Amino acid sequence: MSQPPPVRASLFVTCIIDQLYPEVGVSVVRVLRRHGVDVDFPEGQSCCGQPLYNSGFTQEARRLAIRTLDALAGSDYVVVPSGSCGAMMRVFYEDLFADDAENLERAQQLGSRVYEFTEFLAKVLGVADDVTGDDAAGGDATGSEKVTYHPSCHLLREMRVRESPRRLLSGCSGVALVDLPEAEQCCGFGGTFAVKYPHISEEMLADKLATITQSGADTITACDMGCLMHIGGAISRQNLPVSVRHIAQILDGEQA
Amino acid sequence: MTSANMGIPSAEFLASVRDALGRADAPPENAYEPLTDDLATLENRAIEVRERIAGELPELSRRLGETAALRGWNVTRCAGVEETLDYVVSLARRLGATSVPRSEQSVFDDVPVDAALAGVGALCWPAVYDGPDSREGIRRRLADSSMGITGADYAIAETGSVIVLPRRGLSRLVSVVPPVHVAIVRQSDIIGTLDDLFALRRLEYHQNGQSGTADMGSYLNFITGPSRTADIEQTIVVGVHGPREVHMVLLDEE
Amino acid sequence: MAEVVTRQFVPASQAAVKDVQLRQALRRAGSGFDGTRREAIAEVSEEVWEGWREQARKIKEHTIGHLDYYLAMLERNVAAAGGQVHFARDARQANAIVSEIARRNGVKTVTKSKSMVSEELGLNHVLEANGIDVFETDLGEYIIQLAEETPSHLVAPALHKTRGQVAQLFAEQLGVPYSEDIEEMARVARVALRQKFLEADMGVSGANFLVAETGSLVIITNEGNGRLCTSAPRIHVGLAGMEKVIPSLQDLAVFLRLLPRSATGQRISSYVSMVTGPKRAEDEDGPEEFHLIIVDNGRSRLLRDPALRESLYCIRCGACLNVCPIYQRVGGHAYGWVYPGPIGSIVTPGLVGVAEAKDLPNASTLCGACRDACPVQINIPRMLLHLRHQQAESNDENERTSSDTDKLLARGFANVMSSPLLLKLGRTVGRAVSKPLAKSGKIGETRLPLISRWTQARDLPVPAERSFRQRWRDELSKDGR
Repeated sequence: MSQPPPVRASLFVTCIIDQLYPEVGVSVVRVLRRHGVDVDFPEGQSCCGQPLYNSGFTQEARRLAIRTLDALAGSDYVVVPSGSCGAMMRVFYEDLFADDAENLERAQQLGSRVYEFTEFLAKVLGVADDVTGDDAAGGDATGSEKVTYHPSCHLLREMRVRESPRRLLSGCSGVALVDLPEAEQCCGFGGTFAVKYPHISEEMLADKLATITQSGADTITACDMGCLMHIGGAISRQNLPVSVRHIAQILDGEQA
Repeated sequence: MTSANMGIPSAEFLASVRDALGRADAPPENAYEPLTDDLATLENRAIEVRERIAGELPELSRRLGETAALRGWNVTRCAGVEETLDYVVSLARRLGATSVPRSEQSVFDDVPVDAALAGVGALCWPAVYDGPDSREGIRRRLADSSMGITGADYAIAETGSVIVLPRRGLSRLVSVVPPVHVAIVRQSDIIGTLDDLFALRRLEYHQNGQSGTADMGSYLNFITGPSRTADIEQTIVVGVHGPREVHMVLLDEE
Repeated sequence: MAEVVTRQFVPASQAAVKDVQLRQALRRAGSGFDGTRREAIAEVSEEVWEGWREQARKIKEHTIGHLDYYLAMLERNVAAAGGQVHFARDARQANAIVSEIARRNGVKTVTKSKSMVSEELGLNHVLEANGIDVFETDLGEYIIQLAEETPSHLVAPALHKTRGQVAQLFAEQLGVPYSEDIEEMARVARVALRQKFLEADMGVSGANFLVAETGSLVIITNEGNGRLCTSAPRIHVGLAGMEKVIPSLQDLAVFLRLLPRSATGQRISSYVSMVTGPKRAEDEDGPEEFHLIIVDNGRSRLLRDPALRESLYCIRCGACLNVCPIYQRVGGHAYGWVYPGPIGSIVTPGLVGVAEAKDLPNASTLCGACRDACPVQINIPRMLLHLRHQQAESNDENERTSSDTDKLLARGFANVMSSPLLLKLGRTVGRAVSKPLAKSGKIGETRLPLISRWTQARDLPVPAERSFRQRWRDELSKDGR
């Protein structure tokens, strides 16, 4: 009896997880392996170039983008635990290389293989196919961890991933997904925006925190460590009783 | 009166636009579709529109009434001329109207509002200018009137709008200056959609063009509900500079 | 041209975020407009809505791509209807044309319906300097004219004012008893302006659309002031940015569906008025002269740059403002010129110069809500990125925002991220530097420059003991399947 060959995927872990939150990357690997994925980690990777691109430094961004293209050239699938970095590779590389036919083709090639982590689980692996809606985890939530989900902007509006994170959370035992009011409002991170215009960023962050509190959640999660570093930084500063975890950590069953 | 254009010559302005676009002075390579319509095409489209409307009329009339009510019209369906006159008279009575300007349109040949209103002591008069001297006088009378009555050149089911085409006999001001406006809509005025309206208007425009006088008419007005504003704290107030109360009388001809 | 204070974005927005009344006003308006917009879309279905957006975008793409051709067609057909088209390169020229029309006709009083272009030109001040009385007649515009302010929103110019502030203003300026009753305030404006409508010699309007095929100017209004301004005076002057033209009357249908729904959530506005030339000899009333002034005023700069051209597709509905988290915090005035919010952050640098408005393209998180709300699918984030790129790498020193330090930092970051060795070194240094600052793994408040702008409200994590790549080597790569 021959089994279908396992799905092979390369992890693009993102520089923020690599340097600041390696445990998130570990959870990503564990979850993928649990679903039978043959995961590898191309060591040539570092940063996708987004921080530079968003600040207008396209020449420097191109250097990093080319490194990324090189590192991921041989992968069947590329899984990125970040909507932001995923959007950079899938959407913005095409703009970045608009005048460079050779790399443009490579970028488009990569773009078609890049998936955000939850998108990969849902679309490619069909995980949570049997979860029918947001209410799936409803019912008896006693003893469950109340989790609320912040959809990060680039995941939502550049990668167009709206449902899969919520469906995966709904299907997660021990988790009760609770609604986040005004969920689709930006948290105010925006990369360097947070330090260039802190007075505006902090207002947005304060509103996000207020809605998190309002949701009654024990845990705030998202698919991007950028947003979570921002939100979590304020939660920690204000000693709010809310834990902050990447969605991979929740799916990994790691306890808060 | 009018004289030479001011500002920069149009040729120079257009050349700078072309330069910005990096374009030669030429029509679009692929001709733009609506503008390639010839008269026959426009005529056929208008016939189609008319036929479709005729086939759907009761439904369109129902939808018009429904949509218009949602847009703030007071919609009344009148079975005939008598009912229409009764409605207009009762309205004038409620408002205590003594002076009721109206347009001069064919609908008033069928619906004799002047006589009916005279019966309750209100003077209904056509707001028609009699030479330049009457202009100020008529404006003053309009400003002092509590309601104005017009017909409709079209009424659109999609939007609940009444369209008036100001012209000889139809002052622009009758439907906007008095605080109450009554529009009498006949079945034959009803059309389905914005697309219907523009198909019919385009035919008329280009037909005129054949005789060398392409003319849209100076004004075309959509009226959809009362005048309103939400400029202070997003709170809706009706009757700012135009009518606070508008009535659509749907006349179901016998 | 209207005064440009775009350089003041930072201090102006710092003041704005502390203004409690402003925040309340913005919240009410933003959620109000956006809520009704969403309802209006749901009513026709997302699918139908997307079809309309596609269609509208195609029309704009074609028209702007052949703008000279359609402007020429428009000019011919306005002339055929007995009107006149004047072309103005800049604000000074446009104002001079309007002033000259007024002078020739001995105009004493002007009534205006809402026109963002006239705000851009600063027309009122020019006319007033010529001894002409100018009355804004849209209620919102009337309020800000009395208050000597500028609009703070594309469709709701007085959005920043509370009812109490308007009541105070009316009491002071019009001598009426103080009343916070909104209906009463609207009545006061009606009474104050009614006579002006009938005695004005000249009416000035903007244009939502110009139809090339028929030479028509289309305005979309709710109050009825636009109808009065374009009907009662002897002269009608229409002002329009050159991007307002659409080819055919047939094209108007889709825009009449999109614009009111996007702007206020209305299915259609109370009035749509289409003006084609002056009154005809046989008409009862209407202006004897019709002038249309087509204004460039910097638009050809946007047209010239293929990456920014689509900003000229904008129909000024304001939907992007209502969903923008930045606009919702800082309001319209902080942007420092006539066009605020996401679209303003593109258009303003285009019209007043990139060097004047360096903050605007940067003051965004690129969240993309504006693009999703835009009825003509304008890709605002992409254009913001383009402007940032221009700023960072421009050869024109005035336009460049990046300091040498920024450039070095960018290059340094790229170097570190390009070299495993430097990355390792960088993290060792990073850990060493952050260790004394950190308490239980986090950096709290600190005075270090730049970092303090983060830590004034948020803790900052320090680099982990082992990076992910280290852990991959140590523990993960081995238990692969």
